[in-house]
Amino acid sequence: MRVVIAEDLALLRDGLVRLLSAHDFEVVEAVEDGPSVLTALVGHQPDVAVVDVRLPPTFTNEGLVAAIEARRQLPGLPILILSQYVEPLYARELLSDGIGGVGYLLKDRVMDVSQFVAAVRQVAGGGTVMDPEVISQLLVERSVDEPLSRLTRREHEVLALIAEGRSNAGVAAGLFVSEKAVSKHIANIFMKLDLPLSEDDNRRVMAVLAYLNARTVPPGK
Amino acid sequence: MANSGWPRAARWRITNFALVLGLAVTVIWSVTSASYFWPGWVWLGLTVPFALDRSLRRALRSLDQRPLAVHAALSLVLGAAGIFIWLMGGLGYFWPIWLILGLILAFATHAWVVPLFSNDRERALEERVDVLTRTRRDALDVQEAELRRVERDLHDGAQAQLVSLGMSLGMASDLLDTDPVEARRLLGEARTGAAAALAELRSLVRAIYPPVLADRGLDGAIQALVLVVPLPVETSLDLPDARLSPSVESAAYFAVAEALANVVKHSHAQSAWIRVSYGDGTLCAVVGDDGEGGADRSRGTGLQGIERRLAAFDGILHISSPPGGPTTIGMEVPCELLSPKISPS
Repeated sequence: MRVVIAEDLALLRDGLVRLLSAHDFEVVEAVEDGPSVLTALVGHQPDVAVVDVRLPPTFTNEGLVAAIEARRQLPGLPILILSQYVEPLYARELLSDGIGGVGYLLKDRVMDVSQFVAAVRQVAGGGTVMDPEVISQLLVERSVDEPLSRLTRREHEVLALIAEGRSNAGVAAGLFVSEKAVSKHIANIFMKLDLPLSEDDNRRVMAVLAYLNARTVPPGK
Repeated sequence: MANSGWPRAARWRITNFALVLGLAVTVIWSVTSASYFWPGWVWLGLTVPFALDRSLRRALRSLDQRPLAVHAALSLVLGAAGIFIWLMGGLGYFWPIWLILGLILAFATHAWVVPLFSNDRERALEERVDVLTRTRRDALDVQEAELRRVERDLHDGAQAQLVSLGMSLGMASDLLDTDPVEARRLLGEARTGAAAALAELRSLVRAIYPPVLADRGLDGAIQALVLVVPLPVETSLDLPDARLSPSVESAAYFAVAEALANVVKHSHAQSAWIRVSYGDGTLCAVVGDDGEGGADRSRGTGLQGIERRLAAFDGILHISSPPGGPTTIGMEVPCELLSPKISPS
């Protein structure tokens, strides 16, 4: 699997190259600044890219900006964004094209190597991977008469894992319950939130995230 | 002031020269045994510059009443010179009384009458200096407290986590051959510790300067803030394309964040709204809610902190929160625009 890496800190860049190479990825290019990211992404059209949000020269969010622009030029280009912090606003921007093949994870998640590699593969396969912290920030309850408050505790947990991009089997493994129980919960959740039920994991993530995002007022400008 | 003018050595030389000159003419007078003490005039001529030099030097050292002190010094020298001249002139009618009275009158006018008509500008400037002195001290205090908090958090949080992580790793490497099961457990513990340290650092960074503020400026940061507030918040952001000064942005951001946090914590509101706009060199932000009111800057340190922070930029905070609500918290900060921002996408 061909992968492009964009990370400005040499320590982390080398680490990522080593880690992914050890798991049968072929690192076609590892770039270290904003302007080269877009060129590398569009030039190589890799199977997946791992991009740091903050890169030189401005050290703000040029990684994210380049990723969004690359996906505008090549819709569905699988990109996993890594960051020292996660911002639901950025998650919304990443997901706004509704195509999937995106991931947004804290850099901390690299420490759990097998899960991280699985996430990269999931994004490469067109799936969506969201950091649990994004979801937990979005899952705050707003008021008592909100549909979200009608979910049971267990349904909340299931919803969070779906939003992270897990499959039924993944949710079941995370909560130590059977897959059958998971599908039942999911059916309940989608009914309570009035969302179209879909067996396709990716479409399901999109629906949940769109739902969570829609509860916030669209940008004023 | 004491160091201005001639160097000390030169002053000494001139003093000595004057003394020698005065003594010389006195000796000449005594040798020629003239009856009229004419060297007195020479002494007067030599003394006046020294008296002026000395008294003006003293007067200029005074900081708050400098013009008055200079006036007093000149009057004293002039009055003394008058009396000396009267003495030299063979006494008689004490005419210097008029000179002295005139000098006293002039001084009194200066001291009591002039301040009544002193211009408002001067008074305004004095008040401004007072405000600046106070707000600068407050701003530095706030910064100092903030740095202490960061230091303490780093010391008790991430640093301690890293020490324990190092210990776990060390123990794991010792046990690798003899007790691989325990070594594996320690490695897992080390990974958990590293994750905890990272989480701690992240929340610390966010409290110092939220990364999204650097990335997107005030409007983006407020949008990001609203996204995670557990209330419907209607936002109206009317900010120019140019960035504001980062310190003002940060103060305004934390002010809005604190106001929103108060809404969530205390107001029992169903919804809130934020209006942020920039015009006429002033950044205005208002946060309102439909809660039960009763917000008070004297209760709790949050609003006071905002007020002090804004004051450093000549910003003001107004709170309207009658019992029963609604609450609006407004802030106005004068600030200038920087270069146009680099817009995302």
